[in-house]
Amino acid sequence: MLTCKEVLESLSDYLDADMKEDIVNEMKRHIGSCSDCRAEFDTLTMTIKLYKHEHAQSGPQVMPVGCHDRLVKVLELEKMKSKGPQPPKMV
Amino acid sequence: MAAATDEELVRKSKEDDERAFGELVSRYESKVYSLALRMVRNPEDAEDVLQDTFLRAYRGIKSFQGASTFSTWIYRITANSALMRLRKKQLPTVSIDDAEERETPVNIADWTPGPAEQLLSQELQHEMDEAIGALPPEFRQVFVLRDVEEMSNAEVAEILDLSVAAVKSRLHRARLKVRNRLAGYFSDNAKPKRSAMGAH
Repeated sequence: MLTCKEVLESLSDYLDADMKEDIVNEMKRHIGSCSDCRAEFDTLTMTIKLYKHEHAQSGPQVMPVGCHDRLVKVLELEKMKSKGPQPPKMV
Repeated sequence: MAAATDEELVRKSKEDDERAFGELVSRYESKVYSLALRMVRNPEDAEDVLQDTFLRAYRGIKSFQGASTFSTWIYRITANSALMRLRKKQLPTVSIDDAEERETPVNIADWTPGPAEQLLSQELQHEMDEAIGALPPEFRQVFVLRDVEEMSNAEVAEILDLSVAAVKSRLHRARLKVRNRLAGYFSDNAKPKRSAMGAH
């Protein structure tokens, strides 16, 4: 029989489906019958849903204009430092 | 002609083939930048992390043994560089030790009646952003890689050089911290609306 403390400590593993089946069943039983643990479970589940939804909405983080060129310049300077004055063309 | 694999590009880069290293840069710069931005949370610092990451990769490519994939290696450098930057700036986050505080409030109110799409107002988005920003850097690393970039526990463990158990523990605590912050938001929102929010 799992205690509330054990259930709360295992909530993330439970949400990530990263535990053995017999423990999953015990977790299910406990959460189904304990309103405090159910609120913990529901709010943690919703938190994960919310930031995944937010992440999906915000899309990939695009590099600012000129960022690639500045990176290439930094790397070319580094090459010049390490190999002498013959800057190879990078990209 | 089929594109060269990362392994081929790494091998050629070790032989001073500048084009091969340039191809690796092109292939990974956006991902590195995106990861850096999610960790350091401002574009200037993210660009510094991007440059630092590829400088380190350039200097270290010859000693890269290939025990992990190039992508794991470059993300490890990114995560370390971002962590150092966060520590250097000493952003107002709590340390990982202070984070040992109790993370689960008693009798947390259940604020989950609606679907995520309905709940995610601009104000809540801002609150979520603040909550992630307030995570200790070591927690944020795990949180971003695992829950935002959706890597596996094993991948995150390899990138951060942690045990899978440590990744799981940090992830759980990070999630609780974010959740608790949102719980505060929802409980405040049950009261009259605050006026200082929204400007972001």
